[in-house]
Amino acid sequence: MSFRLAALVAFMGGFIALSFEILWFRVYGFVTGGTAPAFGVVLGSYLFGIAIGSVATRRVCGDETERGNLALLRLPAGLIALASLGGFVLVPGIAWAVTVTSWAWTLIAVALLAGMLGAVLPLVSHLGIAPDDQAGTQMSWLYMANIAGSTLGSLLTGFLLLDVLGVRDASIVLTTVGLITGTLLLLASQPTTAQRNRWVATAVVLCVAVTAGGAPLYEGVWERLQFRKKYKGETFTHVIENKSGVITVRGGGHIYGGGVYDGVFSTSLVHDKNMIIRAYGLAAYHPAPKEVLMIGLSSGSWAQVVANIPGVEKLTVIEINPGYLEIIPKYPEVASLMTNPKVDIVIDDGRRWLQAHPERKFDAIVMNSSWHWRGHITNLLGREFHEIVRTRLNKNGTFQYNTTDSPNIKRTGCEVFPHGFRLVNNLVLSNDPVAMNPERWRKALLAMKIDGKPVFNLDRGQDRKRLREVLSIRPPNWPKNKNSPWHNSCVNIVNGYRKAGHPILTEDNLVTEFSHPWYWTP
Amino acid sequence: MAATAASPDAPAAQSSEPGATLPLPVLYGVFLVSGFAALVYQVVWQRGLFALYGVDIASTTTVVSAFMLGLGVGSWIGGRLAANPKRSALLWFAGFELGIGAFGWVSLPLIAAVGQFTAGASGPATFALTFGLVVVPTSMMGATLPLLVSHAVRQLNNVGKSVGMLYFVNTLGSAAAAVLTAVVLLRALGVAQTVTIAVACNVLAGLTILAAWAISRRAS
Repeated sequence: MSFRLAALVAFMGGFIALSFEILWFRVYGFVTGGTAPAFGVVLGSYLFGIAIGSVATRRVCGDETERGNLALLRLPAGLIALASLGGFVLVPGIAWAVTVTSWAWTLIAVALLAGMLGAVLPLVSHLGIAPDDQAGTQMSWLYMANIAGSTLGSLLTGFLLLDVLGVRDASIVLTTVGLITGTLLLLASQPTTAQRNRWVATAVVLCVAVTAGGAPLYEGVWERLQFRKKYKGETFTHVIENKSGVITVRGGGHIYGGGVYDGVFSTSLVHDKNMIIRAYGLAAYHPAPKEVLMIGLSSGSWAQVVANIPGVEKLTVIEINPGYLEIIPKYPEVASLMTNPKVDIVIDDGRRWLQAHPERKFDAIVMNSSWHWRGHITNLLGREFHEIVRTRLNKNGTFQYNTTDSPNIKRTGCEVFPHGFRLVNNLVLSNDPVAMNPERWRKALLAMKIDGKPVFNLDRGQDRKRLREVLSIRPPNWPKNKNSPWHNSCVNIVNGYRKAGHPILTEDNLVTEFSHPWYWTP
Repeated sequence: MAATAASPDAPAAQSSEPGATLPLPVLYGVFLVSGFAALVYQVVWQRGLFALYGVDIASTTTVVSAFMLGLGVGSWIGGRLAANPKRSALLWFAGFELGIGAFGWVSLPLIAAVGQFTAGASGPATFALTFGLVVVPTSMMGATLPLLVSHAVRQLNNVGKSVGMLYFVNTLGSAAAAVLTAVVLLRALGVAQTVTIAVACNVLAGLTILAAWAISRRAS
């Protein structure tokens, strides 16, 4: 094998391996809810496969005859083509498997396919490099070619293919590229005319079959991956795939980001389906929230409520995934958010945006943050982020976010801020004294309108009853003589969780991200 | 057609490298430990950089690409160093391992210090800063494979077997690190102590090679 051909194959091997890795990680991130331990195990399985594939080549690198080398040249060709075909069926395979068993078993297939691709670099090194004093130098070029292919694969697949095509069509493209690469390599191995014709015909048939088979094979993939053993044939109303992730919406208006519950399209406080009372809470504890920052948009329900709270003059929303902006206009409850002149929606990482705009300070910062066990959640819920937020609040400014009932996060917020309380599963924190004010809340709620409709219509008995419940900060039908489970002071929270030994979440201990076993799924 | 011309499975030939012929099992063990440390750093440093520059796809891809570029640069450097038979590939390797360990030792405070001035930087600036932060250690990581391949080929006289085995042990170490870091180390020890383990791995690898090199040289 010429050294140039070896470098080209090393490049393509890296390109296909990293492209599929990006694609498979998208799928595993979705099926596992993006937990950090699961990510590590998926990466470990992939690397283990690469390792086994590379050592397996030792067995076939002993035959130095011309015939042996011809056979060796055909081996990477076959491995690339076979692994690409395997990569094509892996995603539907995972989707089917998780409806009957744990996703963890599918890692065997990941290791197997990675093994095929991992064998390519040692094989082409053997064929393209002479065992002399220059072996290390030549190896460095092949390794560089492999790294360059890997980088291009991750960039092209992560930035372009998954953004424009989605997982199904990206799989088709990558499989086709793999089949063409394998076939071209076979043609370089001095085949007979009959062999050449047979291989080209097989490749053409396989490419056509992959293209035609994509739609039926991938039908219902996201539903299976999300519902797993609870899958009963339900179809999503919307599926948005882009470079930032996968957003799905069920028939009842439940929205999911990366396979994890994100919220509901609803702003009704009378028929509170999504604990939207928490978003309305801003009007109870803050006397004049003029300038508000919201990190995370999702369904837009919280933003819609906050933008319509009396006195709010500007709402800046930072959302990491632009896909939500495609879905929100389809739901009447929140559609007007997109044209509200008070609302400024920015696509960015929330923490980065806050750090990049040190001149901006806010009366209130609100986050209906995601689950405490998700990967990288420490960036938004750890002690360090709380300390950043403390510097970005105006006098009497507040920081409200969803603790998703994590003792660690509740203690973290209450330890970093000097004042605060719990509202349902949210914490409300401030550098200055802060408390719920039922009278202020009543006035605000009665004055509030969303899209011209009042939040409460006191002509209706149901609304009057619901308003009383809301103002008492109690769950519906909660006994008046029992303390409300929806409200607690930070003093109590800190005392309780200190005694129980729940540590503060920091960027060193990452305690909530690694609190579940790796095979756990939400 | 094939570039491999030497007889297969030749007995361990005397290295033409100055100073040493290292037993291959030692070399494999050291490279496994090196691969373990490398992936621990990758996981931990990426977490630190994502906290500074964001976890959106642009930032994550930028950070990963900076790592890859560093590895590529290192591979080129390793190839150049391995080309000169008068230089000891093993000594370079040992030096790089100790260098990676030294960087690892100061890496977390360094990332935090740089982050204080650069957090929230734009895309191109993120790439430049990330590359600037990781180019030295990732280059040293990238240089290790060509260096050890040049050494192993001198003993095995077979490129496929040399690359296959070295790539195997290094990637196996990385696979073990990916799993252990996620399942055990970060949960039990936290970020700083996990990095300390990686530093210990680099120091162990570097000193082992230096000791074996010294013993081998004295014996020869």
